[in-house]
Amino acid sequence: MIAKYWAQMRAVVRLEMKKTFLSRRGLWVYLLAFAPVLMFAGHDLSMMRTREERRAIAAAHPVPAGALLSIQPGMTREEVIARLGEPNVDSRQIRFGGGRIRREFLSYTDGQSRYVFGFADGELQSISVREEETFAQDRLIFATVFQFFFLRLAIFFGCVGIFTNLFRGELIDKSLHYYLLAPIRREVLLAGKYAAGLIAAVAIFTASAALQLWLLSLPYESSLSGHEISAYLGVAALACLGYGSVFLAAGLFFRNPLLPAAGVLIWESANLFLPSALKKISVIYYLQSLCPVVASPHREINPVLALLISSTEPASTILAVAGLFAVTAVVLVFASRRARRLEINYGAD
Amino acid sequence: MAVYKRTYKGYSGALTAAWSRFLILPRYSFGRLFQSKFLVLFLMACFFYPAGCAVFIYLSHNLSFLRVLNVQAANLLEINANFFYIYCTVQATMAYLLTALVGPGLVSPDLVNNALPLYFCRPFSRSEYVAGKMSVLIYLLSLITWIPGLILFLMQSSLAGRSWIFANWWIAEAIVVGSLVWIGVLSLIAMAMSAWVKWRIAAGALILGVIFVGAGFGRALNAVMRIRGGAMLDLAQDSFTIWSALFRLPGAGQDIDTLDAVNAIAAACLICLWLLFKKVRPFEVVK
Repeated sequence: MIAKYWAQMRAVVRLEMKKTFLSRRGLWVYLLAFAPVLMFAGHDLSMMRTREERRAIAAAHPVPAGALLSIQPGMTREEVIARLGEPNVDSRQIRFGGGRIRREFLSYTDGQSRYVFGFADGELQSISVREEETFAQDRLIFATVFQFFFLRLAIFFGCVGIFTNLFRGELIDKSLHYYLLAPIRREVLLAGKYAAGLIAAVAIFTASAALQLWLLSLPYESSLSGHEISAYLGVAALACLGYGSVFLAAGLFFRNPLLPAAGVLIWESANLFLPSALKKISVIYYLQSLCPVVASPHREINPVLALLISSTEPASTILAVAGLFAVTAVVLVFASRRARRLEINYGAD
Repeated sequence: MAVYKRTYKGYSGALTAAWSRFLILPRYSFGRLFQSKFLVLFLMACFFYPAGCAVFIYLSHNLSFLRVLNVQAANLLEINANFFYIYCTVQATMAYLLTALVGPGLVSPDLVNNALPLYFCRPFSRSEYVAGKMSVLIYLLSLITWIPGLILFLMQSSLAGRSWIFANWWIAEAIVVGSLVWIGVLSLIAMAMSAWVKWRIAAGALILGVIFVGAGFGRALNAVMRIRGGAMLDLAQDSFTIWSALFRLPGAGQDIDTLDAVNAIAAACLICLWLLFKKVRPFEVVK
């Protein structure tokens, strides 16, 4: 009997796979998933170009780092030029206050960092140092983007698109009755559809995460450890598993799954501010616990809201993984019960 | 009458005035929208905060003894530009959720059922169609944003005296202009999504997603590329920046300049209009 169910499930997965991967309705999911890849690719290109430029300038006009550090506010333009030589990049003059104040910016580089000295009427007033980006900085930025954009928004909305489409999309297309008329248990149908959605979501989002990780380490000699890489890919897959089950159930229980989706979005977004006990009733809490780097909330967060952020100990790896699987199993059991009683009224839907 | 005599005859009855034809669409849309109990409940919920604000304004003028006793409490009860800015922020959030509920059902049913030729075979232009559909959202969103805002302003004016209204008339202007900017952006996004995504649920998700994902992507772009311009993708932030300028609160919108915010909003509106007019046509090419 199990072998029969298994064969039926594989048949459903086979049928659903093309619809899930190649549906026109789901093309925006690819855009959402691969937008961060474009972002990291752009960053790599810009970084490599800047690095080459700075090294070429430093080779043509060598300026020792010690001399750059010796420059102090209050020095005159001539003193700075005497110590560092003629500026090599992007020097410009601007006049303020109807031309009364003459501002000038002189740029130097030691091959790694860029120093911009700002003069007002020939006197040094500001020193801006733009240091070369480091792998440690980019690793932290990746962790923040992964947790606050990729998990909370890209995978979330991607799963809304993929999993609500499995049942609700067929209702809209008036094609679900073909499945319901086939001699197949509703639970098997649900499991097959969920498996197809999960395979598609995991393939799309883990591929995107893997590309992002590759692009992250591309401009550097060092790279993330195998443990970190597998942790990020695993978290992306678990996010698809958790959110997928929720939105599959939403597609079955609600005529308009947008309402539960908006509710879940608000709940997951408010997770930062929830008390410890409530934090644990969310998917994002377990996913964040599994992330290898702790990303702090956005630095530009409203100070009043920042006061409301509550810190909670992350869940242990075993508990987090088991928790996500348990939540998924419970949601799927409820969804399969609903699927058993599912009746179609295309007119009403 | 013999069948062969039933030939086509042009309509000879009274015509609706050309300028008001677009108002026919909202009349039918409202009839359909208000059949939804959830929408009616949500619309009622949208008035809770303005009602709370009205109570707050009333109390702030009737607890004068509190001012005498406690200076901090008096500061807390001050009704100023910041109070109305917060009011606009809260109501803008409600307006956004209301748009996600109402917006998807505006254009998509006409496209799904190939009903556009039925509109455009009448003396009714595409602009009138767009204006008619948009007026549904404009009316509903106005009802929960600037109209109660102006009522609160008038209430405060009547309680605080004539000098207050002369000193703060620009707050009323900020409420109206700021709300209309937000309503315009939301309406155009909703209409464009509704026209391009025929599945209502997906259109609703996209309306939600445009603001949330735009904000998240903009911040991620800022962090990864070490720039500040990514904030322009966050339409809510752009609107808040414009409001902060209108309400003369310099600290409220720090990420981008007001001019950049205006440009971003204008660009978003133009893109939505282009998308909308590309879809709203009296014919459909079926490939």
